[in-house]
Amino acid sequence: MFKRLCQVSLRRYHPSKGEHLNSSRLGPLNYGLDSPQYAVLSHALKVSVPVVGFNERAIVHSLNQLNYPSTMLSVIGASNSPSLLHSSPAVMELVKFHLVQKRLQLSQDLSSEEKPSLEDLFIKRLELNVPIAGHLSQLLSHVSVPGPFTVDTALPELHRLSDDLIYYSNEKDHHDFAWYSKRLGISCAYVSSELFMAQDKSHNYEETFQFARDKLQRTMQLGEYYNNTEEWLWYTLLNSINLAKSQMARG
Amino acid sequence: MLRTINPTTRRWFSVLSSLKNTAASEPVKEPVTAKAEPLSEAREAYLERAVRVDQAGELGADYIYAGQYFVLANKYPHLKSVLQHMWDQEVHHHNTFNRWQTENRVRPSLITPLWKLGAFTMGAGTAAISSEAAMACTEAVETVIGGHYNQQLRCLANQYDLKWTDGTNGPTKEIKSLTETIRQFRDDELEHLNTAIEHDSRKAVPYILLTEGIKGICRVAIWTAERI
Repeated sequence: MFKRLCQVSLRRYHPSKGEHLNSSRLGPLNYGLDSPQYAVLSHALKVSVPVVGFNERAIVHSLNQLNYPSTMLSVIGASNSPSLLHSSPAVMELVKFHLVQKRLQLSQDLSSEEKPSLEDLFIKRLELNVPIAGHLSQLLSHVSVPGPFTVDTALPELHRLSDDLIYYSNEKDHHDFAWYSKRLGISCAYVSSELFMAQDKSHNYEETFQFARDKLQRTMQLGEYYNNTEEWLWYTLLNSINLAKSQMARG
Repeated sequence: MLRTINPTTRRWFSVLSSLKNTAASEPVKEPVTAKAEPLSEAREAYLERAVRVDQAGELGADYIYAGQYFVLANKYPHLKSVLQHMWDQEVHHHNTFNRWQTENRVRPSLITPLWKLGAFTMGAGTAAISSEAAMACTEAVETVIGGHYNQQLRCLANQYDLKWTDGTNGPTKEIKSLTETIRQFRDDELEHLNTAIEHDSRKAVPYILLTEGIKGICRVAIWTAERI
């Protein structure tokens, strides 16, 4: 399990955009933009899921609408191994598609001149959840059933999201352990905001956005506390070394 | 039919009429922007490991020199400028790989705090034995790093011959620039190796023990930083 965790969450090198042809695959998905899977799943996410939720009925509804035979249901989930404790592979694929597509959508229409702030991007990602917000608790339970799906897909996708949130915003990035702690903090803030959203009954999910802003701010404040403490400790350490040196020089 | 469509094949009896066509009939040449094939997963994974291990290595080198400088700078004033020069170069290397790491979104090594602590201790510890021992430490570290950079250069030269849309083969500008960077840094590291030998690294007292021990530690660190 641990080895697989290491392999899956490997963050790959991103080569410079201009010099390569676009890959025919879409990130962690096994298909590209012009494939029938993409057409069916994006239709399902846009039209069927807001009505019936994340289940097989949503996919079958979209298959019927797009004039595909409903037996394609078994093809759509082919890349997921069947699991006794989980829902059908096709539903898992739909959940995976939701996670990946919403994350990619986040970075698609960004202007190249000015990067948005981390908070704006964070809120924007939550806003993308609004159409399916009624079924969010269903989605979260799919994602959090302990098992291969969580380890192989859901958690890596969460970390890719927090990585994207930092990369595409004007947030400072780090070269050391802070790289990990910042991403972990943002992932936690995001998950708790989604959990809040699943229960939120306020108009236009205003309370969720308020909650998310507070949560993010508190996470950042925690980082600031840590940095200040570390700086103070360094200052004290160097000060005492210098003091000892000067005392030794006096003899 | 064709003639009327394509103005270049149109024939006129007038001699001068071709003059007015020459400018327009020249096909507007668009700059050819060829693209390389997308990197395969294995190639991306190798680059990721290479950038991470190089970043961790340069961080280590930076902190080793910091440790040596901390102990030696006031004790041996004649070594101060030598150490300062080598340290400055390592800081430049470290910053360069930091930039590679953030721009290409590679994760840094998870145990960065341990590398920092270990490297500083190694630098300060060998310097505490004697200045020759510090130079022997430099010699051992730079030997391993030089060999490791050479290995990376071989792989970058052999494995990144990508197909381009205009039919040619070759690495991308990015790979070329990485190769150039690594080549430059390898030369710098080997220069440090020479400096260390010039400053009596071979006269360190448990010479074999020190250099072989440090070489072993460096190899283990490289192996770990590539993976974790």
